[in-house]
Amino acid sequence: MTSDNMREFLRGIGDQLPLQLGVVPFGLVFGVLGIASGLSPLQTILMSSIVFGGASQVVFAQLWATGASPLIVGSSVAVINLRHMLYSAAVAKYLRPLSLRWRIILGYLLTDEAFAISIKRFETTDRPELAHYHLLGSGLTLWVCWQIATVVGVLAGATIPDELNLGFAIPLTFMALVLPNLRRVSDIAAATSAALVALFGQVLPWNAWIVAAAVVGITVGGILSHLEDRA
Amino acid sequence: MIWIVMILTGLANFAVRFSMFSGLRASTLPDWAERYLRYVPTAVLSAIIATALFLDEAGDIQIWNTTVLAGLIAAIIAILTRSVIFTIITGLGVLWIIG
Repeated sequence: MTSDNMREFLRGIGDQLPLQLGVVPFGLVFGVLGIASGLSPLQTILMSSIVFGGASQVVFAQLWATGASPLIVGSSVAVINLRHMLYSAAVAKYLRPLSLRWRIILGYLLTDEAFAISIKRFETTDRPELAHYHLLGSGLTLWVCWQIATVVGVLAGATIPDELNLGFAIPLTFMALVLPNLRRVSDIAAATSAALVALFGQVLPWNAWIVAAAVVGITVGGILSHLEDRA
Repeated sequence: MIWIVMILTGLANFAVRFSMFSGLRASTLPDWAERYLRYVPTAVLSAIIATALFLDEAGDIQIWNTTVLAGLIAAIIAILTRSVIFTIITGLGVLWIIG
C-alpha cells in the first residue's frame, strides 16, 4: 500500500470505530443467543463470518431453533437482506472500475454500518480513486469487531443466567435503528402493518410470518410513498 | 444440514451485496425497486420488534406486561437519543428492575 492508500484505509478504520459501540453489544448478544438457540459454539462463531449480518443471523438462529424448514430460514434471511441491493447500487459506480478481487472482498464487507460510513466518504472525497481503501478499512473494522464479539458472547454465554434476558437487547437494538427514522406516514404504515402481520401471522404454517410481514410492510410503504410524492 | 443452509444463506447474502457491481448486469436499480426496497429494514425489523415485545413464551399476544413496559420506555429513549447503547441499557434496566 502506498502512503496515500494507507491513510485512506486508516481513515476508514477511524470513521467506523465509533459505530462499534452499537455493533459489539449486538455481536455479544448474538453469541449468547446462538448457543441458547441450540447451535454449537462452532456453528455460532462461523455463522458470523459465513452469513455475516446481524439481523440475518438472529433470525436464522431463532427460526432454526423452532424447527423451521431450511426453505423458510433461507427465504426469511433473503428478504431481510434485500436492502443490501440498495447499498450495492449506491456504491456500484465507485467500485465498478476495480479488479474482480477487490469487488468480491468489498461486496463481502458491505454491511449497513460500513456502507453508512463509507458512502459519505465516496461522495465527498477529492480523491475518489482511493476511496475503496476507506470502505476496506471500515468494512474490515466491523468484520473484526463482529467476530471478536461473537466469540466472547459464545464463551460468556455459558455463564450468563437466563434471567438476565439478554436476548431482549436485540429488539432494543432494532428499536434504536428503526424508531427515530419513522418520519413519513408511509414509514409508520410500513412498520405498523408489518408488526401486525408478524403478530397475527404466528398462526401461519411453516413460520411464514416474517416473509409475510416483510411483503406486506414493503408493499404498504411503497404504495403510500407513491401517494406522498404525488401530493 | 445446518452447514449447507448456512453456506447457501451466506452466498445469497453475498450475491445481493455484490450484485450491482458484479459486472454481469446493469448496475442501476429501476426507480420502483429503489422505492420499495427502502421499506425493507423498517418492515422486517418492526416485525421482529413486535414479536419480541408482544408475544409471550406460549406465543400468545400480550398487550400489557413488563416486557411491553420496558419496550415502551426504551422506545422513548430510542427516539430521543437515537443511541443503540442507551436504548439497550434503558430497556434491560427497566426489565431487571421491575421484572
